Amino acid sequence: MKLIEVKNVSFDYRVIRTTSTSLKEFFRDFIRGSVRITRLQALDQISFSLHSGKVLGIVGGNGAGKSTLLKLIAGVLPPQSGQVLVEGSIAPMIELGAGFHPELTAAENTIFFSALIGRDVKKVRQELHTIGDWADVTDHLDFPIRSFSSGMVARLAFSAATQERADILLVDEVLSVGDEKFRAATRKRIKEQLALGTGVVLVSHEPSIIRELCDEVLWLEKGKIRMIGETDVVMNAYHDSQMSQ
Amino acid sequence: MNQQKSLKKDAQLVRLLVSRNLTVRYKRSVIGVGWTLVNPMMSSFVLWLVFANNFGQRLDSGQQYAPYLIAGTLLNAFVTMGITMSANSILENASILTKIYVKPQIFTLASAIAGLVNFAIGFIPLTLVCLVAGQAISPTFPLVFVVAFFLVLFVAGAGLLLSILFIRFSDSQSISVILLNMLSYVTPLFYPISDLTPTMQKVVSLNPLTSFLDCFRWAFSNNATATLNDWLYIGFSGIAMFVIGNIVFSKSWHKVVVMLG
Repeated sequence: MKLIEVKNVSFDYRVIRTTSTSLKEFFRDFIRGSVRITRLQALDQISFSLHSGKVLGIVGGNGAGKSTLLKLIAGVLPPQSGQVLVEGSIAPMIELGAGFHPELTAAENTIFFSALIGRDVKKVRQELHTIGDWADVTDHLDFPIRSFSSGMVARLAFSAATQERADILLVDEVLSVGDEKFRAATRKRIKEQLALGTGVVLVSHEPSIIRELCDEVLWLEKGKIRMIGETDVVMNAYHDSQMSQ
Repeated sequence: MNQQKSLKKDAQLVRLLVSRNLTVRYKRSVIGVGWTLVNPMMSSFVLWLVFANNFGQRLDSGQQYAPYLIAGTLLNAFVTMGITMSANSILENASILTKIYVKPQIFTLASAIAGLVNFAIGFIPLTLVCLVAGQAISPTFPLVFVVAFFLVLFVAGAGLLLSILFIRFSDSQSISVILLNMLSYVTPLFYPISDLTPTMQKVVSLNPLTSFLDCFRWAFSNNATATLNDWLYIGFSGIAMFVIGNIVFSKSWHKVVVMLG
């Protein structure tokens, strides 16, 4: 089953050159006629698709457009041209801990985060201990999140996001945080959900993770697709180009 | 079916956001919920000290100045704070909105509703002051919630309109403070409208907040006159502001979302 279909998607960031970030300056510049808009193309004519049970890796240097692409799939950014078709529920993990408030307790944050990604809060309340157990923070559920280490926050957010199986997982560098035990546990959980038909889009700078998990890899360079295809083929070419620089 | 499901999820998120909004604010202060009341009560008290002998004497017979003032400052606090906070809510939650897909309007609506809760808490001191001043709570009291309903629509709509400006221009926040301040001066918070020149009376009655306030005072303890036109005007301006705010917001959102980073 096709979960994601991206067709000829382009996206540019419009940057106002005069940098008038205040109304007063903007009116001044507007009257002078000096408001100029520069377009920074972040993505150019991107097309690909993702099927259930598959993992698509996205690689590329900084500023290649990886995160922008992930945000377009998540629905956070609207495509300016082309189409992003998504079938099914999404568990976005573009940043672990997004939506957590430092003053609220871990339990409160877990419930709020689950509601943000569209889970049924009643069910989450009953599953709090399961979520806490997986993240190994059950004893700290009633403590404010500001007392948590970044590793604990990451584990809790990952646990909450994957407690209920989503059709699509969007993962941005998430598998590179935390200690070895946590990394192994996250990979195990992703594989479990893959077996049940989840599709995964994975952004990572770590070739070992990409090679271990991905069926296909999309290599972005300055917003364009440099290469797309089987993991080994693309990763070898990517590796060679990295070395030659 | 699917739409119903997403509506249910949105509603659950609004509920959680409102309670988060309130708990976070009260956790920061020692006196908790009471904190929301300090500002309107203090300013009512000062206004009472200053104006009780002139404006206070010129209200219609049967009306009392102390509840008149408190009703005014409570409503004004709800409007100015509510609009500012709901306009700010999008910026404050930028880290969520750029990582997880949520309808951004949910944040503004939740802030407006949190403001409503604070407003409703203010009914307690208002009731006490009414009783001390020798005024009974009117049997029309339930109509207060009609006023509150349209006021939430008004606040949320204005918040949506402003939020676009807040994202786009960093100084629009301080400009909006000035504008909201001017708006409260053309609302009869502490003076009777009959005390103004005929031209100013027209200006002040064009302000929808004047009608909101008249309806609120009348419904609460029969402390003002509210005509049918006032009721129609608050319904109209509440709905119109909400609709316009939503239309403008959804047309501009895709342009400003990239500025959230």
